[in-house]
Amino acid sequence: MSKELIRLRDCVMSYGDEVVLDHINLYINDKEFLTLLGPSGCGKTTTLRIIGGFLSPTAGDVLFDGVRINDVPPHQRTVNTVFQRYALFPHLNVFENVAFGLRIPKADASGRKVKLPEREIHDRVMEMLEVVNLKGFEKRPVSALSGGQQQRVAIARALVNRPKVLLLDEPLGALDMRLRKDMQNELKRIQQEMEITFIYVTHDQEEALAMSDTVVVMDGGRIQQIGTPEDIYNEPKNAFVADFIGESNIIDGVMRADGVVEIFNRKFQCLDKGFDKDEPVDVVIRPEDVDIVDEAAGQLRGTVTSVTFKGVHYDTIVDFYGFKWLIQTTDYCPVDSRIGIKIDPDGIHVMKKSQYSGMFGDYSSYSEEYEELDAAVPEDGEEDDSREGGYEE
Amino acid sequence: MKKQNRIGSRLFIGLTFLFLYLPIFLLIVFSFNAGESSTVWQGFSLDWYRALFQNRLIMESLYTTLLVSLLATVISTAAGTFAAIGLYALSKRKRDALLVVNDIPMMNADIVTGVSLCLFFVAFFQGWGAFAKWFNGIQGVVELPERLVLGFSTMLLAHIAFNIPYVILNVAPKLRQMDRNLVDAAQDLGCTWMQAFWKVILPEIKPGIVSGALIAFTMSIDDFVISYFTAGSATSTLAMRIYSMTKKRITPEVNAVSTLLFLSVLVLLVLNNVRELRQERRADRQEIREPSFFEKLSMKFNQPAFRWVRRGLAGAMACAFLAAVVLLTGATSSQPVVNVCSWGEYIDEDLITQFEDETGIRVNYQTAESNEALYSLLKNGGADYDVIVPSDYMIAQLLEEGMLEELDYSRIPNFEKIDPRFRNLPYDPENKYTVPYTWGTLGIIYNAGMVGEELDSWGALYDDAYAGSVLLINNSRDALAAALIHLGYSVNTTDEGEIREAFALVADANRRGVFQGRVMDQVFQKMEGGNAAIATYYAGDYLSMVDNAAEGVDLRYVIPEEGGNWFVDAMCVLKDAPHYDNAMAWINFIASTEANLANMDYIWYASPNTEALEQYPAYYEENEGEPLDMELYEIMAPPASVLERCEMYAVLPLETRALYNDLWIQLGT
Repeated sequence: MSKELIRLRDCVMSYGDEVVLDHINLYINDKEFLTLLGPSGCGKTTTLRIIGGFLSPTAGDVLFDGVRINDVPPHQRTVNTVFQRYALFPHLNVFENVAFGLRIPKADASGRKVKLPEREIHDRVMEMLEVVNLKGFEKRPVSALSGGQQQRVAIARALVNRPKVLLLDEPLGALDMRLRKDMQNELKRIQQEMEITFIYVTHDQEEALAMSDTVVVMDGGRIQQIGTPEDIYNEPKNAFVADFIGESNIIDGVMRADGVVEIFNRKFQCLDKGFDKDEPVDVVIRPEDVDIVDEAAGQLRGTVTSVTFKGVHYDTIVDFYGFKWLIQTTDYCPVDSRIGIKIDPDGIHVMKKSQYSGMFGDYSSYSEEYEELDAAVPEDGEEDDSREGGYEE
Repeated sequence: MKKQNRIGSRLFIGLTFLFLYLPIFLLIVFSFNAGESSTVWQGFSLDWYRALFQNRLIMESLYTTLLVSLLATVISTAAGTFAAIGLYALSKRKRDALLVVNDIPMMNADIVTGVSLCLFFVAFFQGWGAFAKWFNGIQGVVELPERLVLGFSTMLLAHIAFNIPYVILNVAPKLRQMDRNLVDAAQDLGCTWMQAFWKVILPEIKPGIVSGALIAFTMSIDDFVISYFTAGSATSTLAMRIYSMTKKRITPEVNAVSTLLFLSVLVLLVLNNVRELRQERRADRQEIREPSFFEKLSMKFNQPAFRWVRRGLAGAMACAFLAAVVLLTGATSSQPVVNVCSWGEYIDEDLITQFEDETGIRVNYQTAESNEALYSLLKNGGADYDVIVPSDYMIAQLLEEGMLEELDYSRIPNFEKIDPRFRNLPYDPENKYTVPYTWGTLGIIYNAGMVGEELDSWGALYDDAYAGSVLLINNSRDALAAALIHLGYSVNTTDEGEIREAFALVADANRRGVFQGRVMDQVFQKMEGGNAAIATYYAGDYLSMVDNAAEGVDLRYVIPEEGGNWFVDAMCVLKDAPHYDNAMAWINFIASTEANLANMDYIWYASPNTEALEQYPAYYEENEGEPLDMELYEIMAPPASVLERCEMYAVLPLETRALYNDLWIQLGT
């Protein structure tokens, strides 16, 4: 689509014995909206901080426009960052926060430090406040703004410097649900309007899918999969990606032939090819791809163990031979009823076995998993902080 | 029941505050007293404040205090702030450990800090001396000073050292509250680390820095112990000056200066608390509000258009500060100086001013506690006195150790006026090293009303008849001398048996509860107030007690039949005195008849100057408008017949001194 702007080549980050990034290879195109997605401690913020210049990788190269920038300090990089919890300067008002970067004298072509004229600073700040819908707020102290408004100031403060790349570190993490949805659209709009590259870090898979051109799924300091949101959802590379992105039933299977996979000793038609004959595989079946039919007509038969009403559909947990599936259906099936299911070939996705096999995809402890997810969200901001000491608390 | 409790607790709180603040309240009230009394109100007056501001020694120590506090505050605030920032770049575990280390100096006893700093400086000076000698020996281009002494700079270093932990303690929480991403954000927006520090960190932690600086300033201003050990001979802070003024009794002048010191510290603390309160309240509200006039002004002022004005002002302030420093230090260093160390309240201070006016030589007048304290100060090094005024036996000891310089008597013509009785005394047989300053006797001071009879024996000190009302002098030499005389031995005996016998007399009386306590300077208040019946003390001090005695207290002085002790305090010059010539001028000035008359009138100790002794009755009558009580004058300056009954202390051999020490410790408390 367009030219490559940033490349991470074999980047390793380790603190003593602890490896935080394990040979990361990644390139980012100009004007791309790329999201680093993963759970706490997966290395996504570390990757972002390496690009921002706040961390230097233990090994490997960071290239910008083909030039190695490992040793270029943050203030000399043409990237700007929107920080977790915004990091606005509390002693300055909205205008001065946004104008902050413009007031720093920058070296011109001849290497002389020059200051921008006050007029230009004023115009650029006002223009940027308009882009983020904060006109009229210039004189407010930042502490008097709502979370969403502070968010906009942070974005304006970064963008006013006309960076080639904007780095966003969980920028919506502190906002409530409604505001998040609005800001997602807002960010997408700004990115398209300004035509610059966004590198976005989040643990929220919905956010990632909704906004990104490219999603990079990370776990344990490694990249698990890179692809468009559709690729990542429809063709997860392994059980981790399948589980992390959306809901999935992940079942042990055996590939009997191209297009034929066996689950629970029953053969299913699928679209996947290129596996060895009789190779054990992980089979992903998305909850919405399962049709409930009469017990007699089903490819598999099971017993309903729980039903939760979700508005558009019911989350129905069904026990098949001791393995619990999540099925999302608009049909109501009472608990303890016997049902059958049918799966279309394009509803089945076959993955190679990986280190993640067997760890995900069983809904035996469905409700607990929900609670865990809820509990995990607010804590995610602490990622990576603990390792560097620094100004946490 | 519950209500009763509440009344009880309120009463308790009230009593607590009364107990805390009543003494200070009294001190403040009596600083405005018209009379000299610290107990009887004699009308309102500002005389003591006027006297205060006319007292050069006090004003000088005020300058010293302000200068050292200001410099120490500025330097320790800068150092402490950067140290705190450094701490926050470390991992949490290391930082917490270091913060604990930071707390220790604050909780450490001042005396330990003071003594250790003093030892450290002295050790450094010795090392430096050796290095400078070697360095000057191998080359002739740069001449390094070989002899460094304690002084203003060592005290400043000490103040900086003890202030830094307070600054760190105040700055650290502000750093902890600060979002660590702020620095990253500033750098991300184009700042170098240094720019980020000025533009972001500094404004964020400014409240902590300001309160740290205020506390450091307060700590510096009221520090006594650490200054005392590190200031050396030529420097006194206000607190040290106050201490030396309280030797005999607390004068209203001391009340006045203490009041000022208390009020300035109070103002600083209140300022700091108000500031913190206001910040907290602002943080609580966080609402949009109309900025106050001053905030508007400062916002306007902070606009970029005003940056030259801002820089100009900052520059002007820096220049003013530098100028003040140069003036304050320069004014004191370019002038010729003489460093004098004497005893507290042992000179008419007008003489100092008079000498300075006449000669242009500035007098650095310091005081020591006792002969022994002076001795250890000299032994430790770090003191650069020119003239000292030790007593006879101490002079002998200093001479034995080769610590005194011969005097140039051709430049002390006033020595001619010293009465032959006070020349060529055993401590300086050829009179090459000393010019007598004062002389007097040690005898019994007693309250005639309480004793009820005339005393004529040292035995009264150990008599059960006066149990609980005898004050034992808290000085082994004098206390044992009285016992030795009573037993018929020489005060200079080296016979262990005799000394032990004398000690047994004292220890026995002590066990039987004859003594009310062991005192030195407290003797004044005890005897003047009629709180004790019998004490051993010096004749000159007896006269000052009579002068200050409470109504109905009839004090008498006697040198008992068995004999007594007489002493001479004499001016001497230390070996390697830095201002020998000025020292000669000072000694000659003090030996003059006029100076001796003034001193005699002020301190009530007899002068060794023949003319002064003759002229004093007339001098007194002229000044006071009434004739001198000749009986009292005879106590102050007893005739030869009395001196013949008295023995002067000689320096004791080391073993005997050690025995005195051991026995004195055995006496316990």
